[in-house]
Amino acid sequence: MATEQELSAFLKSVEKRAFKRSYYHVRNEESALDIVQDSMMKLAQHYGDKPPEELPMLFQRILSNCTLDWFRRQKTHRAVFSSMSEFVPAGDDGGEFDLLEALSLSSNGEQTGSAEDTVRRAQVFHQIEQEIALLPTRQREAFLMRYWEEMDVAETAAAMGCSEGSVKTHCFRAVQALAKALQAKGIEL
Amino acid sequence: MKTPSNSVDLALERYAHRITTRLDEGLAELPYQVTEQLRAGRMQALAQRKKTVAVRKPVSVLTRLGHSLALGGGPSGWGYTLMSAIPVLALVAGVMVVGAQQDETGVIEIAEVDAALLTDDLPPAAYADPGFVQFLKTRAAESR
Repeated sequence: MATEQELSAFLKSVEKRAFKRSYYHVRNEESALDIVQDSMMKLAQHYGDKPPEELPMLFQRILSNCTLDWFRRQKTHRAVFSSMSEFVPAGDDGGEFDLLEALSLSSNGEQTGSAEDTVRRAQVFHQIEQEIALLPTRQREAFLMRYWEEMDVAETAAAMGCSEGSVKTHCFRAVQALAKALQAKGIEL
Repeated sequence: MKTPSNSVDLALERYAHRITTRLDEGLAELPYQVTEQLRAGRMQALAQRKKTVAVRKPVSVLTRLGHSLALGGGPSGWGYTLMSAIPVLALVAGVMVVGAQQDETGVIEIAEVDAALLTDDLPPAAYADPGFVQFLKTRAAESR
């Protein structure tokens, strides 16, 4: 059973990322804060007595459900989810985009990244955020859970309620789309 | 030796981690009011958890107090509840026995008085006569 200190430490470790993830979905600061607070309350009320190792998975599921509830309450979720397909890049199936070339260019960029000044880094950060916000919902969820929350494929699949194969596909497409979009803007990481 | 698909996977993972590293850096630049609201939300959630625990505890403590008349907690379960009920039952049984004995003693005393009155030379009706009572008082005064 998680002690109050363990629960507090856990919430503190995830609250900022949770806020950002919600923000990428709802694109509204106040709503994102409401969703995160709602998720923390639900975790504490219903699962506060669970072992600490179970908290991350539970929290991810609660956060996803709270975000979905928000869309339902707004009565716009149908419009949002249907409009998300508009953001799928035209070259999602490969096309002329050379993924390996983009990724290798980025690798070279990493070596020179330390020379960028603070302003440049802030600009790059905002560009990345914009591109993440433009990803289709499922791709964004899979990408953020898998790589930002550092969950493995099985955990991500369980949290998203889909197969592991779907998670891999979503992640692949998300990274491909981000690499393509950032390359087009001349951003090298 | 890596296969081409593994190379792509590795490159993807590295690229993804470079992106998330940038995202992590951005977390440090969240506005103060956002971080404060997150902190307040966290505190509220933790307080809600406390409330759940606080509601649960007194119920069990009161149950134990009712049976054992003891302060604080202790082992729980049916066995403990039954064990703690024994002293209370013994006390109730003792009170009932003492009450029955007192009733019996009172009945015996009344019976003895009744027997003395009935076996006396004077009839019981004589004690109800005002003249006879006066006679007894006068006689008692003279004998002193």
